[in-house]
Order: sequence, then structure tokens, then C-alpha cells
Amino acid sequence: MLARLIPVSLAFALLQVALRFRDDADLARRLRERDAGAMRELYEHYGRLIYSLIQRMVRNSAAAEDLVQETFLRIWNRIPAFDQERGALGPWVLTVARNRAIDYLRSTDGRMSAGVLDLDRLEHPAQFADFDDRALSMDRARVLKEAFEKLTPNQKTVIELAYYEGLSQTEMAERMQQPLGTIKTWVRSALKVLREQLTEAATV
Amino acid sequence: MTCEDLRDSYELYALGLLDGEEKREIDEHLARNCADCRKHLKGALAVNALLLSQAPEVVPPSRLKRRVMASVGAERSVLAWVAALAAAAAVIVALWLGIQNRTTDRELAKARLDLQQSTGERERLEQAFTFLNQPETRQVNFGLDKPAPPRGNFFLNPRLGVLLIASNLPALPAGKAYELWLIPKGGAPRPAGTFQAGAQGTAMHILPGVVDSSVTLAVTVEPEAGSPAPTSGILFSAGF
Repeated sequence: MLARLIPVSLAFALLQVALRFRDDADLARRLRERDAGAMRELYEHYGRLIYSLIQRMVRNSAAAEDLVQETFLRIWNRIPAFDQERGALGPWVLTVARNRAIDYLRSTDGRMSAGVLDLDRLEHPAQFADFDDRALSMDRARVLKEAFEKLTPNQKTVIELAYYEGLSQTEMAERMQQPLGTIKTWVRSALKVLREQLTEAATV
Repeated sequence: MTCEDLRDSYELYALGLLDGEEKREIDEHLARNCADCRKHLKGALAVNALLLSQAPEVVPPSRLKRRVMASVGAERSVLAWVAALAAAAAVIVALWLGIQNRTTDRELAKARLDLQQSTGERERLEQAFTFLNQPETRQVNFGLDKPAPPRGNFFLNPRLGVLLIASNLPALPAGKAYELWLIPKGGAPRPAGTFQAGAQGTAMHILPGVVDSSVTLAVTVEPEAGSPAPTSGILFSAGF
């Protein structure tokens, strides 16, 4: 699923994610100073990426617009806790956006995963300090995409269910009608492949 | 478990999708500042960001940018509208609570003043209004019998979550925040979000989502990033 969706958009998305981090420290500083121009710039940098992610997750344009607005409002309200020198704005914004979409998906289908109470803690700006900028380079994004294409169909499906639908492994087991142990094996082996390919590329 | 045993679990942990023994282990490792776990978690956040950035590109409508800018008060033409809506929402909240005791009125008045100071708070006010307006929302107060309180109310809606309105909160040192906990019957406290008090010691905190209707709610003082388990004594609590 994800594999066939990636190619068209990949160049743009990778360019956005990889290139924007260079001037994010200055952007974060101006956001902390409540500079409206910085907010406009933040939207120009991440608006399309965030809208694409949320639209992919909720598949509803009106809801996606509400959730994008909510995402940027949350970033604006919480930027004082963001470390402008050492923080990684892109991963934080993406995480906040995903969590808004997950909240929406859970509220519409009455579902609650075990970790829902942790989302707020896990998206706290402090979690995104001391990031290695190289971890988010365009090269790594390309490596990740290539590694993803090597996964088996089942591995791709569980990754998509986790990242884009917010299903726990237990929920995946129900959805895919597979034993929990099998799901766990697919998830872990898929993540291991992705991680190892990234590590390998970094050491070449 | 060792950090290496947990190696394949950090991405799910960072997505909030891990549960059971592995989640507890990672929580414990992070709570004791395990360097390996912190490193693995950063790596997992990077992998997650790279994966999330690969959704198929969709161009948002141009009005969305105006909406976003307006919502943070950056569009002059909508400032008045936003302020009026915030004030109206606050008044409606106050009216709803008019049937409650005077202490609650005073808390709301204080909270309303704090909230009106920022148009960015409009979002939370709307959430609170939605919350209070639901017939199944239940309320329990705390601190009324204490000579030197924090005082306030917890509101619980099994479908929507928990709303906390508090006043007289003590000022916290830099790097600290209040953290709400959900304590299920016979279970361990579960983190339910951090929040700060306003300049006048008032706070409003919302935990969205489905909540068990027979929990105990408690607040402690924690590091700003939040803790997976309480590290200080309960400041106040109430049970449903």
C-alpha cells in the first residue's frame, strides 16, 4: 500500500523534510517570540506535508483541514517549551500532526489503544531535543524508502496500520485475523530491516 | 529486559502503540535516565518522522493557510471575531457553572481572565464547552475542606475524557510542570498530560479520549517533559 503511494510524492516530501531543518533554529526562535511572520513561514514549510499526512490518515478533506489547524495551533501554543538550538522542528510537527489524526480516528470509531494516554507525553517538545540532523537527511529518507520496498506485503501492511491508522498490535491481529505472535514478528522484523538499512547506509 | 532486548520496540513506543511488559520496561529505563534507551528513542523518532513524511502529496486548499493564521491571531481581520468567541465561550462556561458553588464561580472568573489573555486558548475553551455541555459529564470537587488549598473541579465524561479546572496552584520552579494521573481501581497511575498554571495560579487541563468512569484522578509536580510514573507526592486528588 505505502510502497505504491510513495514514488509520486517522494521527491517533494523528501526535499521538504531534508532541507527545512537547516533554518529551523531561526524559525523556532521567531515562533517563540510570537512572530506572526514565522508562523506563516512554518506553514509554508510544513503545511503541505502535514496536510498530506493527515489527509492520508483520515481520508476526509474537511476533517483534515480542522486537524491541520489544530496541529499548527498546538505547535504555536507549545513552542515556548521547544529547544530552539537543539530541537528538531520537523519531526515534532509531524508527530503532533499524526497524533491529532490518531485522536480523530479513535474518536470516530470509539477505539482506544493502550498507549493513548502517552501520546501527549511522547509529543512533548522536550522529546525532540538533541536530534542528530543527519538522521533526517534526504539520503536517509531515500534509503528508508528503498528498504521499505524490500519488505514483504504483510510487513508493509503492519507498518502502514501502525503509522497511518494507529492500530496497536492486538488491534492489527484482530483486523488481519492473525495470531498476535505473528503480528509481532512482522512488525519487529520490518522495523529491524528499516533500521538496519539506515545504519548500514550511515556507515558506508 | 536489557536495552538490546527492547531494541525493536522503541518505534512503537514512540508511536504510543506499545503496551504490556515491554512498555513498562522502557518507561522504567527512561525514568532512570538510561542513556542507551534515550539514544534508541531518538533514533526511533527519526525513523518515525521519515516514514510519516512519505504520505502521498496532496495540495491543501488556499483557505487553509488563512484559517491557520487566523487561529493563532496572526490575521488582524479576524482578531476581533476570535476574541469575541473566546469571551462568549467563557461566559457560557461560567453560566453553566452558575448552579455550582461560589468557589467554582471564583475559579471560573479567574480562569476566564487567564484564558482571555490569549486567543490561542480559544481551542481549549471550545473543547471545555463541548465537554461541559454533555449530559453524561460528571463533576467532583477537591480542596474545599482544606485551609490552604489548591481548589477546583474534575469533570469526567466517559466518552470525551477529563477536564480539570483548578485555582490556588502554587508557583512551580523552572523546568517543572503539573502532571495529571489516571488511577484505575487496583492499577498503577497512568500519565494523563502535563500542564502549567497561569500567573494567578489557575489552570485548565483537558485529557481527551475514552476514560473509565470509575477512576481516581490525581495531580503531582513532575519534570516539564512529564514522567511515566509519579515522582512526587499527590498535590490533590479526587475519585469518581
